[in-house]
Amino acid sequence: MNIRGNIHKVVNIRDLTESTYVLRMEKKGLKFVAGQNLNIGIAGDTERRDYSIYSAENDDYLEILVKEVKDGLVSKRLRKLKAGEELDVDGPFGFFTIKEESRQAGKFLFIASGSGIAPFHSFARSYQKLDFKLIHGIRHSNEAYEREHYPEGQYVSCVTGDNNGDFKGRVTEYLRLNPPDNNTLCYLCGNVNMIYDAFDILKEKGLPSENLFAEVYF
Amino acid sequence: MKYHIVTLGCQMNMSDSERTRPVIERMGYTWTDNEEEADLLGILACSVRQKAIDKVYSRIHKWNKRKDRQNLLTFLTGCILPADKVKFMKLFDIVFPMSELKELPEMISQYGIVTPAGLQQTPETLVYHNEKLTELRQKTNELKLNEHIFDFWHINPEYTSHFEAFVPIQNGCDKFCSFCAVPYTRGREVSRPSKEILDEVQSLIDRNYKSITLLGQNVNSYGLDKNGNEIGFPELLRKIGEMGKKSGKEFWVYFTSPHPRDMTGEVIEVIAQYPNLAKQIHIPIQSGDDKVLIKMNRKYSVDDFRKIMKTIRTLLPEATVFTDIIVGFTGETDEHFENTRKIMDEFRFNMAYIAQYSVRPGSTSSRWEDDVPVHVKKQRFHTLTEDLMRVSFENNKKMIGRTYRVLVRGKERNQQFLAGLTEGKINVRIPSTDESLIGNIVNVKITTATEFSVAGEII
Repeated sequence: MNIRGNIHKVVNIRDLTESTYVLRMEKKGLKFVAGQNLNIGIAGDTERRDYSIYSAENDDYLEILVKEVKDGLVSKRLRKLKAGEELDVDGPFGFFTIKEESRQAGKFLFIASGSGIAPFHSFARSYQKLDFKLIHGIRHSNEAYEREHYPEGQYVSCVTGDNNGDFKGRVTEYLRLNPPDNNTLCYLCGNVNMIYDAFDILKEKGLPSENLFAEVYF
Repeated sequence: MKYHIVTLGCQMNMSDSERTRPVIERMGYTWTDNEEEADLLGILACSVRQKAIDKVYSRIHKWNKRKDRQNLLTFLTGCILPADKVKFMKLFDIVFPMSELKELPEMISQYGIVTPAGLQQTPETLVYHNEKLTELRQKTNELKLNEHIFDFWHINPEYTSHFEAFVPIQNGCDKFCSFCAVPYTRGREVSRPSKEILDEVQSLIDRNYKSITLLGQNVNSYGLDKNGNEIGFPELLRKIGEMGKKSGKEFWVYFTSPHPRDMTGEVIEVIAQYPNLAKQIHIPIQSGDDKVLIKMNRKYSVDDFRKIMKTIRTLLPEATVFTDIIVGFTGETDEHFENTRKIMDEFRFNMAYIAQYSVRPGSTSSRWEDDVPVHVKKQRFHTLTEDLMRVSFENNKKMIGRTYRVLVRGKERNQQFLAGLTEGKINVRIPSTDESLIGNIVNVKITTATEFSVAGEII
């Protein structure tokens, strides 16, 4: 037994696709700011991973969005947990958050690939009046995880593998065709290649680096 | 009975070792430089690089062989990854987090071996002791890494120098840089109570220490974990500055390492106000490319760093600036590397600790392919070192003809010279054999300069 954080019991697991699910656990008074992450392992296990919080600041539970990794030591085992089983949860950590002053007046573009949508889900659910647009890069349209949770017209899926998305192609292609205004605050989260490409496009379009915020998923 | 400790890694471990020694010595052990004659052997481990972990394995296998012919007790503490800890518990007699140092005498005494403490025991008590030992091991294993760090800070250190000292102010890290495993080995950021820090600094001032270094993984995050119930880093520095002013003594206070994200203008303003706060800043940039910084999860851009440098150069025009840089990080392209070369010229660092990227077990980046070939890393290391040498030489040449206060630290290998450091931590060679100067601050007029040092005459 090697406890690093606090024990939180699993409440339930909600499957989104064959390989992706939302794990809900007890909140136990843990306070966080949307965009932060938790370091999670199965109680008694040494293997741990960081996951962005998917739920809202005021929800009375905690949720994380997990994509199973091939040969992963944690993601596959988490999915097999049953309600009542214990997680060792440490955190919250991280600085991928929105300052209160910009939350009120700012205009936001959220750019995600795959499960990198998790912090944006937390932003959208925590700050109901936020002026944002979310573009989500996925391979298949069934990976538009819980798109009904976002206000109508603010979620754009960019799908490469089928024709059922809002946009056929990569996030970066969408970005080139629909660049944001230079005063937009751009938050990028997902795999590093997408972030690098999007970063270059946004810089080319004249966005200052102080308006760009990134969280790399690996 | 004799003991020996092997200390691996950074200044934090050196400082931890200064607190470990008195705990062991109070049990009746005496220090030996020769590990062959030690009855108690310990390692303060470092998990920053695999090489350091390999050293732990090599040492413990050697020591365990000696157990066939000698009554020997071994312990391991310091920075240990949870996964390594499980393996090490099978090899060492005692494994514990540094925060549990105060329990070490009890752990040793429960072993019932022939030690000054063990001599108190009878065979009848051994069954009880074995049970107690199991309980202690279990307890230590279940503890959070920083749970008892406050007890650790209460231990009076045995400083290894009579004029230079390290004072821990903070332990652990919440920054999660992708190349680093410290959050997993030392735990989360915990600040030491300011009263204890100020008391320790005051006692060093009273004993005429000349160089005091405030230590932590992220010193300028000091106090943030206390949510308003502790002073912040600028205020801590201000109080130390006031103590220096009141003492009227000449000494220099340094801090390492700060994180650029938490380096506020206020910190730099406070340093500018107090003569005892050394005009030397060590601020690790790690890369000069925004995209590499994103991948490193450093949480600042080159522009952010530029603003910090501008504040330093404006408020502290005489300050020297040191940095840390990693070359050959996973995915670093030639273009990324060229951006790092540019910042060497732009920021004109006095010193840069340049490291070729190597996988640090337990870090996030250890799960990625280490895709920059070794020969490329080496080439980048040499290229950047040459850039540094050029810039540093230009900086050092500007010192010629000027007189600096220099802390004499010891003799050089060439016995005809003394070695010292300026307030800005520039190495100074002094042609003198007068050992009585060691530990004193003297005036030195600089006459010559090389890439990494200057030389001059005492005046």
